[in-house]
Amino acid sequence: MSLMSTVIYISIYIGLFTISFYVLSMIAAKKKIVPEYKFEELPKTSILIAMFNEEKTIKKTIESALNLKYPKGKLELIIIDDGSKDKSLSIAKKFEGIRKGIRVRVLHQENTGKGGALNAGLKIATGEIIVSMDADTYVEKNSLSAMNRFFKKPEVMCVTPSMIPYKPKGAIQRLQHAEYLLGIFLRSAFASVNAEHIAPGAFSSYRKSFFDKYGGYEEGNITEDLEVTFRIQYNGYEIENCPEALVYTVAPTKFKEILIQRRRWYSGLIHNTIKYRQMFSRKYGDLGTFVLPIAWISIFFSVFFLFYMVIKGVLSIISEISFLMSINFYFGGYLQFNKYLLERIFFTYLADPVILFFLLFVGMMFFYARYATKRIGKTGNFSLSLFVFLILYPILFGFWWVMTLVYSLFNKKVVWR
Amino acid sequence: MENRKYSDKKRYLWAAIIAAIIFFLIIKGSYFVSYLEFQRVASLQDPISYEIFGDKLEYSLFGKDICTEETYQKISGDLGYQGQLIGQLEKRFGVNDPKVIFRKKFYTLVQLEHFEFIKLINKECNKSINSILFFYSNKEADLDNSEQLGKILEPIYHRNKDNLVLYSLDINLDSDIMKSLKEKYHIGNEPLVMLNEEHKFTQINNVNEIEQYLR
Repeated sequence: MSLMSTVIYISIYIGLFTISFYVLSMIAAKKKIVPEYKFEELPKTSILIAMFNEEKTIKKTIESALNLKYPKGKLELIIIDDGSKDKSLSIAKKFEGIRKGIRVRVLHQENTGKGGALNAGLKIATGEIIVSMDADTYVEKNSLSAMNRFFKKPEVMCVTPSMIPYKPKGAIQRLQHAEYLLGIFLRSAFASVNAEHIAPGAFSSYRKSFFDKYGGYEEGNITEDLEVTFRIQYNGYEIENCPEALVYTVAPTKFKEILIQRRRWYSGLIHNTIKYRQMFSRKYGDLGTFVLPIAWISIFFSVFFLFYMVIKGVLSIISEISFLMSINFYFGGYLQFNKYLLERIFFTYLADPVILFFLLFVGMMFFYARYATKRIGKTGNFSLSLFVFLILYPILFGFWWVMTLVYSLFNKKVVWR
Repeated sequence: MENRKYSDKKRYLWAAIIAAIIFFLIIKGSYFVSYLEFQRVASLQDPISYEIFGDKLEYSLFGKDICTEETYQKISGDLGYQGQLIGQLEKRFGVNDPKVIFRKKFYTLVQLEHFEFIKLINKECNKSINSILFFYSNKEADLDNSEQLGKILEPIYHRNKDNLVLYSLDINLDSDIMKSLKEKYHIGNEPLVMLNEEHKFTQINNVNEIEQYLR
């Protein structure tokens, strides 16, 4: 067996092991009884919306926050304008005061970055629970109350929702639609072993006492949400997941936009992993010995396969061109269909274990997406999204990581916006 | 901070076992498909050898007309497809697998029988069907050269399929007939292409090098 085949089979086995482990964990977690607040017991909550040039989306975001179903008088909204140059501030100012029984405050400051803006909100927040909400995020009415019920357990410091793109259109958003659906499954899987390590900054709830004890958002950190999540895990607390809480984000539509977003996320992941590298130990149980190492191993394999595919692809293009020249660019042979075509496809592909494994993983992804749509109660056309995802994601995921590594190696600055 | 408890250490063991079971089931599943492919080769070989054998006998014993298009089609139909399947079986089970070697030996006989019959048709029917004997090698050192030759022969065959038959023979096949064949044509152990028992090529850089000699 060649070295490449060995690497492929090892990565397949690791993939099967990981899937089996998470599925078993989720089955076990179903039996777990978690203490929950009743609706009227829900704690007072401050929603912080940091914005920077968000005139297109901020109105809808504020309206969606004001429409949240939550006990009367227990919700406040703090909008922090981080030095926007557009009309964001004036749009937000129109909501200032008491709206639908919710107190809305608007702050304005010079641009400091998202962490700095959220910290400004934290200083005046009066809620027991803090929700960070992105200015291009819309939330379902019941999501916040569904999430915050988990705070009855004192060890829970953060609760995450299910994120999906808002009205996905086009290949780039379709790709993210499938990715977010798979993320819903993974987040539930991580939470089942108390190993959730990525809470979306777009809409997550935090216990304010955690910020009081361990400090606010890290200013200058390009993924301040990730840093807080890692800090919560680092200090031994719990992060719960609420798949039923549905939150929509306006996903990038262009290749360049998504590249910039991913470069920021992945750079942040590298930075924060290095910062909290002590978590890769037995002291951190499943998170330290399995979940985090497996996440990095899967990234390593993706980048490795991308390099392999690119090198192999370039070599085969060169060889194919030289071959086509040798046959005087005759294509007739490729167009020959005989009566055994289907039989040949059957034998060629289904007798290859790697292809069978690939089909199994595709089936698993379909299962993940189905699980996600069942939990959030919205199906949409996820089959099309999954199809786009399967074609583009394996290449793009490796590409984004390569770009991130190149930027990191050459110390290029990555900013949050 | 106190050390965190593992959710359940036994779960890792169970996950490893389940993963191993799925892994081996899929490997077995792919072998099952390969086995079906192997059966298919066997099912194709028997009728074609029967047809060639039958027609040759009918010709020699009863003077049956072998010059019809029907005869040619009947004895040639699945020959190329069988070769493709055997090539896949070699990759799947390995070149040293006894089942594959047996089928390859049988396929070699069928091809040579066909080759002889084509020579007979050319002679008796005043036809000029070209034949290429492609002696390939699965040995590591010759693999690239063999694949290169095979790849270029494919379009040559498709461009001239009405007037050309291509036979692929493993030069390292451990059989008496292969030894005799090598002796007859003075062939060594390197991959080689022989056109109409006259022209030999160890390398082909362009299809024209072969096509210029086609009848």
